[in-house]
Amino acid sequence: MDFQIERNDIANAGTVSSLTKRHLKKRGLSRSFVKRVTIGVYEAEINVVIHSYGGTANLNIENDYVEIEFKDVGPGIECISTAMQEGFSTASPYAIENGFGAGMGLPNIKSVSDEMYLDSSEDGTTLRIRFYIKDEDYENKPINK
Amino acid sequence: MRINQLINNHSFTLLTNTPDDVLINNVVACDLLSHVMANADEGDVLITVLNNINVLGVASLLDLSLVIFSYNINVDDSIILKANELNIPLFKSNLTTAEVVYLLKEMDKTIE
Ligand SMILES: Nc1ncnc2c1ncn2[C@@H]1O[C@H](COP(=O)(O)OP(=O)(O)OP(=O)(O)O)[C@@H](O)[C@H]1O
Ligand SMILES: [Mg+2]
Repeated sequence: MDFQIERNDIANAGTVSSLTKRHLKKRGLSRSFVKRVTIGVYEAEINVVIHSYGGTANLNIENDYVEIEFKDVGPGIECISTAMQEGFSTASPYAIENGFGAGMGLPNIKSVSDEMYLDSSEDGTTLRIRFYIKDEDYENKPINK
Repeated sequence: MRINQLINNHSFTLLTNTPDDVLINNVVACDLLSHVMANADEGDVLITVLNNINVLGVASLLDLSLVIFSYNINVDDSIILKANELNIPLFKSNLTTAEVVYLLKEMDKTIE
């Protein structure tokens, strides 16, 4: 499933995460599993909205994992290890006014996901996060499993 | 604590349609959404001064029970409209964030 994410489109920020949440719930995944994914997708999608020139998200739900890839077209993250630190933020006044800029998004993503791949250059940033589904993550068994 | 206790308390004004009398879980008071995202849980009440549509995004993603706007801040009509659509009860209060927390705690000793 592919989504377009527009730069500074704060009014629609959260669309990818709420659709992801809906799909995962429909599959009978547990509240705590869905919450982890929702947090990760929300933070990633907001970052594309407030820090990038725009991008895409691709959601892939398999039987044993969920993976979401975010790609944007720049300006990129200057130093990934710095950006990963709690509290580091270059959020614009506009983003701060809208409740963002705590510098907690990337650390949150790291802590909720099972795998996180982040790569960035001036031409854009790619973030891929994966969540493994264990048997106990199913609240109700899906019909075709 | 239940939402009807807020409706019946003169310190709070309901901004949205009359909600079902749901149970309120815990209290989260924060104006930075990544912190809310990381720390709030289903059924929690969020106290904030963020007059902002993203508050509703976070509230609906986390299935929060309701949002209270403290410090008598202005809440845009567009936010109230959207909250009615999403079924998220919104309240407003003249009290400060800290006073709202104290009051909620007094109203329900089980809230930590
Ligand atoms: N897609 C992106 N493109 C460019 N820079 C980014 C991107 N994502 C993150 N960054 C950079 O990394 C920093 C840290 O990101 P992080 O999500 O942790 O915090 P934040 O977005 O600034 O605040 P918060 O997420 O708490 O609202 C950002 O301030 C920004 O400088
Ligand atoms: Mg962020």
